[in-house]
Amino acid sequence: MPDEAIVISSSTPLDYSTRGLPVPNRIPGNIPIWVGIFSEMSEFAFMFIAYFLAKVHYPEIFNEGPLRLNTLAGTLNTLVLLSSSYFVAKAMVAIRKNQPDICIRWLWLAIAAAGLYLITKHWEYQWNTDQGIGIKTNVFFGVYYYMTFNHLLHVAWGGAAILWALLRVKSGIYTAEKHEGLEAVATYWHMIDLVWIIIFPLLYVLR
Amino acid sequence: MLHNKTIDVIWLLLMAITLLSAYIAESAEPSFFVTLTICIIITLKGRMICDRFMELETANQKIRKLMNIYFYVLPIMIMLVFLFPEQLANMTRL
Repeated sequence: MPDEAIVISSSTPLDYSTRGLPVPNRIPGNIPIWVGIFSEMSEFAFMFIAYFLAKVHYPEIFNEGPLRLNTLAGTLNTLVLLSSSYFVAKAMVAIRKNQPDICIRWLWLAIAAAGLYLITKHWEYQWNTDQGIGIKTNVFFGVYYYMTFNHLLHVAWGGAAILWALLRVKSGIYTAEKHEGLEAVATYWHMIDLVWIIIFPLLYVLR
Repeated sequence: MLHNKTIDVIWLLLMAITLLSAYIAESAEPSFFVTLTICIIITLKGRMICDRFMELETANQKIRKLMNIYFYVLPIMIMLVFLFPEQLANMTRL
């Protein structure tokens, strides 16, 4: 048995005495979202293993592949996703301070960042097509399209989830005392950012 | 430092590290040190997001450890692939 009991965030009063963070040893969001997060992280881990296997078997193709990709698009999307995670973290600070209007503003910024990510990714795919790059070009681009499109889908539905949470903040369902759902969405969104933290160097940087 | 201020600093750090990665992508040739630098960057970014944005620093430690392990194991795999590509290819050939 652990020394301290596991605490679910919404079921206990929040203690902001320590640097403005909630009580220790809690589970951010709720248990189901963590089941989802670990499942998604495992799914992406299998994709990364597939990438490693392909890379050791086709070293020349994987050495040349990143040079043909649009690094500007990859970098922009990294900056945009990191910023969106920051906006969501700020939204959590605001809701805990009982500032729903400020929370909503940060969530709109996060949604805008998700939209910008999707627009940039569309531009990148179009740019690839113009360069004669497609999913069947070679094994590197096969892995690239499978990984990035899968991640794109996560950004799309993660952005929709933030919108759903925003509407619930607006309608007063999430408050300073009770905001488990918002925290679960925020945690899931950070997971999407974390996965990109690995995808970006694998596909755009490492050779 | 208060959590609210800490995440401001972390955001700026993450942006700066990303620009460094982009610079490496555009300019550096593949080498042991470049690969090691990228691996360290992945671990640093992962830890910062997990601990500060996800607020796992003070959360349930089992969840925190599982998340952190991810950002140690994957960089180690990247290093292994860089150092021993032929051996790994031989081991995984059907």
